[in-house]
Parts: sequence; C-alpha cells; structure tokens
Amino acid sequence: MTRHTPIRRARGWLGAAALLTTGVLALTACGSGFTDSPGEGQASGSGKLSILIGSSGDAETKAVTDAVAAWSEKSGVPAEVQTANDLPQQLSQGFAAGSPPDLFYLAPEALAGYASNGSIAAYGDDLENKSDFYPSLVDNFTIDGKFFCAPKDFSTLALIINTDLWSAAGLTDADIPTTWDQLASVAQKLTADGRVGLAFGAEYQRVGAFMAQAGGGLVTDGKATADSAANVEALTYVKTHLNDGSFAFASDVGAGWGGEALGTQKAAMVIEGNWITGAMKADYPDVKYTVAELPAGPGGKGTLQFTNCWGLAADSGNQEQARDLVQYLTSTDQQLAFSKAFGPMPSIQSAADAWSQANPDQTAFLAGAAYAQFPPNMAGAADVITDFNAQLESLKTGDPQALLKTAQSNLEAIVK
Amino acid sequence: MSALSPAPRRAGSSSGIRRGEAAAGWLFTAPVLIILGVFLLVPVLMALWVSFSDWTGRGSPFSSNVGFVGLDNYAAVTTGGGLAERDFGTALRNNAWYVLLVVPLQTALSLFLAVLVNRAILRGRGFFRTAFYFPSVTSSVAITVLWLFLFSSSGAINEVLSWLGVNGPNWFSDPSGVVHNLLGAVGVTSGPAMLTDHTLLGVSWWDWLAGPSVAMSAFILMAVFTTSGTFMLLFIAGLQNIGGDVQEAAMMDGANGWQRFWRVTLPQLKPVLFTVLTLGLIGTWQVFDQIYTGTQGGPGKTTLTPAYLSYSSAFLSQQWGQGAAIAFVLFVIIVALTILQRFVLRDRPVSRRRIRQYEAPGAGTPRLRRSKGGTR
Amino acid sequence: MTATASPQATVLAEQRLDRPTHPAKHRLSRKALGWQIGLYALLIVLALVYIYPFLVQVATSFKTDAAAAADPISLTPQPFTWAAYERLFLNSDFPVWFGNSVVVTVFVTAGRVFFNSLAGYALARLQFRGRGIVFAGLIAVMAVPTVVLLIPKFLVINQLGIYDSYAGMILPLLVDAAGVFIMKNFFESIPPSVEEQARIDGAGTFRIFWSVVLPMARPALITIVILSFQGSWNELSHFVISTQSPELTTLTKGVASLASGQLSQGSQFPLKLAAAAIMTIPVAVVFFIFQRRIMNASEGAVKE
Repeated sequence: MTRHTPIRRARGWLGAAALLTTGVLALTACGSGFTDSPGEGQASGSGKLSILIGSSGDAETKAVTDAVAAWSEKSGVPAEVQTANDLPQQLSQGFAAGSPPDLFYLAPEALAGYASNGSIAAYGDDLENKSDFYPSLVDNFTIDGKFFCAPKDFSTLALIINTDLWSAAGLTDADIPTTWDQLASVAQKLTADGRVGLAFGAEYQRVGAFMAQAGGGLVTDGKATADSAANVEALTYVKTHLNDGSFAFASDVGAGWGGEALGTQKAAMVIEGNWITGAMKADYPDVKYTVAELPAGPGGKGTLQFTNCWGLAADSGNQEQARDLVQYLTSTDQQLAFSKAFGPMPSIQSAADAWSQANPDQTAFLAGAAYAQFPPNMAGAADVITDFNAQLESLKTGDPQALLKTAQSNLEAIVK
Repeated sequence: MSALSPAPRRAGSSSGIRRGEAAAGWLFTAPVLIILGVFLLVPVLMALWVSFSDWTGRGSPFSSNVGFVGLDNYAAVTTGGGLAERDFGTALRNNAWYVLLVVPLQTALSLFLAVLVNRAILRGRGFFRTAFYFPSVTSSVAITVLWLFLFSSSGAINEVLSWLGVNGPNWFSDPSGVVHNLLGAVGVTSGPAMLTDHTLLGVSWWDWLAGPSVAMSAFILMAVFTTSGTFMLLFIAGLQNIGGDVQEAAMMDGANGWQRFWRVTLPQLKPVLFTVLTLGLIGTWQVFDQIYTGTQGGPGKTTLTPAYLSYSSAFLSQQWGQGAAIAFVLFVIIVALTILQRFVLRDRPVSRRRIRQYEAPGAGTPRLRRSKGGTR
Repeated sequence: MTATASPQATVLAEQRLDRPTHPAKHRLSRKALGWQIGLYALLIVLALVYIYPFLVQVATSFKTDAAAAADPISLTPQPFTWAAYERLFLNSDFPVWFGNSVVVTVFVTAGRVFFNSLAGYALARLQFRGRGIVFAGLIAVMAVPTVVLLIPKFLVINQLGIYDSYAGMILPLLVDAAGVFIMKNFFESIPPSVEEQARIDGAGTFRIFWSVVLPMARPALITIVILSFQGSWNELSHFVISTQSPELTTLTKGVASLASGQLSQGSQFPLKLAAAAIMTIPVAVVFFIFQRRIMNASEGAVKE
C-alpha cells in the first residue's frame, strides 16, 4: 500500500468518524442530564409520577393506564405507567441506581427486604380507607407494627373446569369434587384423547394448595413446618397422580402456565387464580369454564391467596400525590373496574357484595378467602420458595420427604 | 522519493525530529487508558470492595454506613451451609459438566470440520467455510430463541427423533441428569450411601455425578453449534501452515493416513490446539447470555451457572456482596484452569528413551530439546 | 456478546493479506475419486445441519402459532401469514429497539475505529516512557473475564451518573483492548520509511498518523469495523446492567425479554422467531459482504 491510494476518500470517511466521536463526547455531557441525580434524600420532584407494574397481560395494562389517566385529569398531576418485563429485577436495579419508580407493585416477600434497607415509605397508616381493607391483607403488609403499603387486590386459587369437556365425559354438577379421592377419579375420567385431567404449575404457588388441604403449610404460627407429616402426605398424593397420568405440570403438557393449558385444551381442569378470567377472555374466548372451590383434603378445605400492594419509594419526591393516587386506585369503583377487566377481587371489604353480585359465577374465589393461606413473606422467603419450586419440578421422581426436609432447613434459617 | 536512511530512534523526547513524541504517545493512548481504566480497572476494584462489605444496594457503596465484613460473603457462599452455598455448588456443578462436555466436543468437531474442508477442492471450500461459520456470527440471544423453538416439546428435534422411534424429552423443562438417566436405564436408581450422604458445597456427591441435565444438554449442543465455526477457521489456518514436505517424508517412510494424522499433523497443530482449548475454557466458564435469555437457571436450577448466579444474587435477591464474591471466585477458577492447561500442554524436553529411538546405532546421543513432532 | 467474540478471540483476527491456497495435487485414481465423493457427501450433510435451523426460523416466522407447534420442520408455511411481523412492528416496541441498536452500534464502531487506531499507532511507533506498562496493562485487562465486570460496571456507571442513558450504553464500549492489538500489529507491519519521509518533511506526529499512516491501514480498519459492528450489535449483558427504561432497550435486550415471555403470552414462537430473524439480518449482511475478509482475518494469526 503506497501513498497512491485515494487518500481523499479515506480522509473523508475518517473525518466522519471523528465527527461521530465528538458527537459521543457531546452525548456524555448530555448523558448526566437524562437521569435524575442519584443518591439519598428526596429526588427532585418533577411532579410526574412514574408507576411500574408487572402486568398479567394487555387487559391489565390497559385498565391500569386508563385509571391512572383518569386520575391525572382529575388531579392535574401527570403520571406514566410502565409495564415491567421482570418486575423484581427492574425494581432492584432501580433502587440500587437510586432512580426507582414512584409507585410499583410490591409482592409480600419483597416487602421485607426493601423495608429493611429503607427503600420504601410506610404510608399505610395515613390512608383514609385503612380500616376497610381485609385484616389478613393488612397483616401481610405490616412489619413491626407499621402498615407499609395498601393492598391493591387479592386472589385465591380455585378449580377451573372446562365445561364442554366436563359434560362430554358424562359428568354433571353433582360430580364436582369435594374430596381428594373424588378429584383423583374425576381427573382420571377426564384424561383422554391426549389431554390430561388436571394441570397446574410446578411451583409452591399451586402445589401449596394441596399442602394447605392436608392441614400443613410452609410456615405455621411463625414456625417453619415444611417437613410436617401433612405436607408429606400432600406431596405424595400429588406425586402419585403425576405418575399415573391424571395430573400433570403445565410445562409437561407444553403450556407456559395453567391458563394456557386450559385454553389450548391440553388439560380439562386447572388450578389457577382470579387472573385467569382476564386471560381467558382475551386469549381463549371460545373456551367455556366454571369456577369451583378446591376439594378438601385430610385437613379440611385449603387454598392459597395472593396479593400485591402499591409500594411507594422512600426517595420519591411526589409522596403526597402518590398517596392520593393510591387512595383513588383502591376505591370501590376503581377496584370493581379492575376486577371486571382482569379478574382479581377487591381488597376492601365494602366492595365484597358488589363484587359478588357482578361476578356470580366466580364466588368460589371469594369463598376461598375464608380458609386461604398466604405464602411465607419474611426476608429471604422468595429465595426459599424459588428453591422449593426448583425441587418440585422433579417431584415425579423425587422423594417428598427429602424435598421437604431441604425446604425446612432453608426456612429455619430465615424464620426467627 | 529520496533515499534516506531512517534516523536512529531515540527513547524519550529531545530536540530535533523526535520532539513531542512522548507527549503524542501519551495523548494518543489517553482515550484508551481512560476508558479502560474507568470501565474495567475501577469496576474490578470496586467489586472487590463490595465483596468485602455489607452494602445492601442503596446509595453509594463507599458511603460511611457501609461496613467491612471481611470474608463473610465468601464464607456464606462456600461454607455457609445454607441456600447460598447450595446454589453456588449447584451452579459450579452445572458449569463444570458444561465445560467438560463442550470443550472436547467443540475442539474435536472443529478439527474434524477443518480437516474435511481443507481437503475439499478449492471451489467448494468457500461455501462450506461460510456455512459452518455462519452460526458464530449471530447473536447468542437470537440463537437461544431459535433453540427454544427447535427443542420445545413439540419442536423439530423431537419430530426428527420420532422418525427414529425415540420419544424425545421435553428438553428445556427436564431437570433430570443425563448420567442419572443412563444409570437408571441399567437399573441403578439411587446412589450408594457413601455418595448420597456426603456433600461438597451443599450438593451431595451423588448429585455432583448426575451429569448435565437434559436442559443443559440442549445448551451444550447449542454451544458446540455456534463455536465450532470459529475454531474451525483457526484449525484451517494451522493446517495450511504445515508444510507439505513433512507429510511426504512420513508417507515415504510408510505411514498410513491415520498415523500421519496422529503423529505428524496433530503435534504440529499444538499451538492452535492450545489456543482453541484456552479460548474454550475461558468462554465456557462465563456462559450467561444464553441462560438469561432462555431458562433463567431453571428447570430445577439445573442450568444455573456461576455467572448467572452472580447476576441474580446481586440484581434479583439484592445480595450484592455475595454476588461480587461469586464473580471473584469464578475469576480465580478461570485463571487457575488456564494456568493448569498451560502447564499440561507445555513443551517438555524429549525423554531419553525417545532420543535413543532416533539415534543411529552406535552414534553418540544428539542433544534434542525440541518437543515430539515437527518444528513449530 | 456473540458466542465467540471474546476479546481473546478477536486478538487472533490479525490482519493478513489473503492467503493463497495450495491445493495438494491429487492423482485422481478411482479410489481417490471415491474418497472425494464420500468427503463431499459428508460435507454437504453437515452443511445442511448447520443451515437448516436458520431456514426453519425464517419459515416459521411466517406460520401461525398453531401451525408452528403442529408442524415444526416443514419449510412451507401453510397458511402463509404476516401476522407475526404485524404484531412485531405494530404492537410492540420493536422499532424502538432497532433504532437504539443502530444508534449504539454506529457510535461504538466509529469510536473504536478512531481510538483503537490512535492507541495502536502509539504503541507501535511512538517511543514514550511507560509504553511497556501500557502494553502489559492492556494484556492484563484482556484477561479479566466479562462475568466479573457485570456488577461492578453497573456500580461505576451509576456513580458516574450516566446510568440509564445513551452515554452509559456507549461509553464503556468505546474501546476494546483486542482492537488496539489488531491495529498495533498492523502498524508494525508497515515499513517505517514512509513515516520517516513525512517526518523529515516536517509533519507533526498527529499529521503523520492522520494523513500518512491511517489511509494505509484500510484493511485493518475494515476488520475493526466488522468486529465492532458484530460485537456491539450482539451485546447483551452490558445493556442489561446499564439501562432500565423501555425507551433505551436495544434489540438484544428486547428479544431476550420476548423470549422469557410473560404470563398470558404463551408460546408465540412465530413472533419470537421473527424478531430473532430480523435481528440477525444486519450482521448476516455484513458477514456475507465481508466474509472473505472476516474468515481470512480470523484464520490469520495463531498467537504463539
């Protein structure tokens, strides 16, 4: 290569490169301006509320966005709703970076961690409708006597049955199972044509219902009881029927979750919560289903309930406006609207009757609230449950006793 | 152009033609130094501090209320006896099997492809090189998405297997270990007490020997698929570097093709082999993108790797100290293995016995210090 | 990060002139011909195994969800539908992701071309105290595995105040040690006589670099462009830790989030495969245009 190469053309190209790099350096200067200044103390409240939600689908996103927009108009405060791809990760990263959203869905098991390092503000005691929330929900979000955040709704697990497949198998309303044996036989009858009788996710958040029905549970009265005989009985029951083909994990039939298994007719019955109504309406509108209470086990009736609250970042500069928005979103009308859009039950007792009237075919969910258990929520519980779920995935070939023993030792480390 | 002899170089700046060279040198390297320093060197030091501290993720890690806790984080991950230790042990086990299978497979396959392509007549060679190298060009995210589809329970791979009469597993949802499955096929369903009762890093020895899970095996196949092309190119270059005369000499001495390959070609490929193995080791111990995109550690934590565990401990579970500690332990492992590999593959002085094989009978001992095989 | 573009691997992509190939002379006896045909058959089968997945990917992106699950192998979608692409472009943030990836890739590539060649020239040609230390430092830096940098880079970016911004995405990627080595090796292979001539003619150091040496470095620069393009387009972990807002999501992060899926989205494989296919197109185009150069460069150097 000599100097006879077209230097001019190369020069022009390199000149462009230089220009671009100067542009980058300019971006550096602008870069800091894009972000809020990180660190402790009140971030400069630009007045705009940022809300991060972990949506179960388009229906929920739309419902929340519309509600927030309506509030914005009324109050004159701008607000923006974002859906998270991975809510725990985005929250954690946001807190570490000092730029968390103002309001966000907060799960009970995440509450302990964020409360202990001062990331969230405890505003529950300042709410006007504080006494209207279900006491068990308030308990779930209270640490050291401080009521941290307002429960936004709650759901319970129930048995969702595909009515067409049910009647095609010659079953009637009288056959809806109320005991474990009945459940097993019904599932057996419905397992045909490449379809499984009962499907559910391979996680404590579903299998735990059986543990509750056996009279067990992961944590009872503040003590770790994972390796109790009741739990062993529950897991053995599930394992037996997983192996005889009438039960199946959703992933084993090629579905991402129970709702998909029901909608694609890979399962005739599934165990899911209120959120399934919104998903079925949006994705599988042609599948007809009924909602029944889960059967009782040796320990009586049992199910799990789930709830999230509206977390408020301690660093937020818009705390008052955020509280106002939370009050609006937890009001009766708003909660009923949410329920209609994507399913969960209102967290305030005064709305219970209205909800029952509006959803007569879903009363099984509300009935479950009377005897439902909450998943453990102390600090570190999320990791323990994740580990337990990992082991549950091999339940078909694993030993329930050993499985529960591991969970017990994990729990004992965090239950004080 | 006038014929001038180049002026002698003098270090440092002084008057004359070389004035300002030192300043220019520093100025030219400044951007690289600054950026690498700020975004590579400083982070490593910062992570070292975080791994020795109890920073909870809020505010600056250098603020006054962050304390020094010594080796607590490292202890929690390696000897703590709880979930953290078990997760780390599981991650190490998964990654160890991954490395054990991927590195030999990808080396062997890429060598095989290189030998084949090298023998092809010129015209076809370019097409085949392109075909084998193309997967290496694509992003790991794109390939993982493709793999999730191919290996889904109703996917292409299971369909092909069904033609052979085999009922394919639900690949990415199957946490059972391959070795355990093979043992189960011959009737061994649980391990001897000696293996199941004792644990290393919270994982029983029986579980250490469980082999990669079926899900991990899909990832192993993916790794071999995507990296064999790159290494094939390295081997092709190495093969072309070998002169033809040594081969001809061997042929004249009566060596057949197989012997020629093992005793003439392969030893001369040692530098390339060394490079491929080193790169393979370093790369396989850091697998993260595929896990993040595909399975996030599931099913049953059998695709959890130390790199992903470091990320999830810090960013998801808010255990920043432990996450940093895991990253550094991994660093040490990688460095140790690289050094070990260097040691194992080093040139050794030729043994006396071998020297005697080359001696003419009755002649004196030639001083040979080169390694076996051809010259480098 | 692509499956292969580790810094160590790119060091080996040293610039060399195209290698003339020396096919051994085959005396085509019948036995040798038989071997050749067998060889070709094997090669063709293997090549098919390597190419077929990508064909399936493109074909599936034009199928409906149900057809993708029912008939995963066939290359002919029945029925043929654009639904996945519609959903991708109209109902998701895919155009934003694409735009972000383009912005980042362009800046990173330009930056690397400029800064790597500057530093490579300095290390190759300029004498200054501490040169050895800088060189050793670069090697040491290349030895640090990227996994160690996940958490700390996040901390540094955050402390600098460039978290969740384009600066945070671009700045850390602006230089890479491997590229500096490539340029350094190339500059060392240029005869010094040209520079000496220019220096005697009175040109300053930067002038020599910019006007004399750099234009000669086109092959190496093209290599850097290709490698930077590939590296930054396919990068994932850096974008995961340096951004959180949806407006800054790049293609890799976006497609990864599609893959891990959300609750009610089920297994929408045509959508995910369409996204992955479009993501692959730019790198594939660059690859096919420059393939001879890429493959010769990668083959080129075996570091001893």
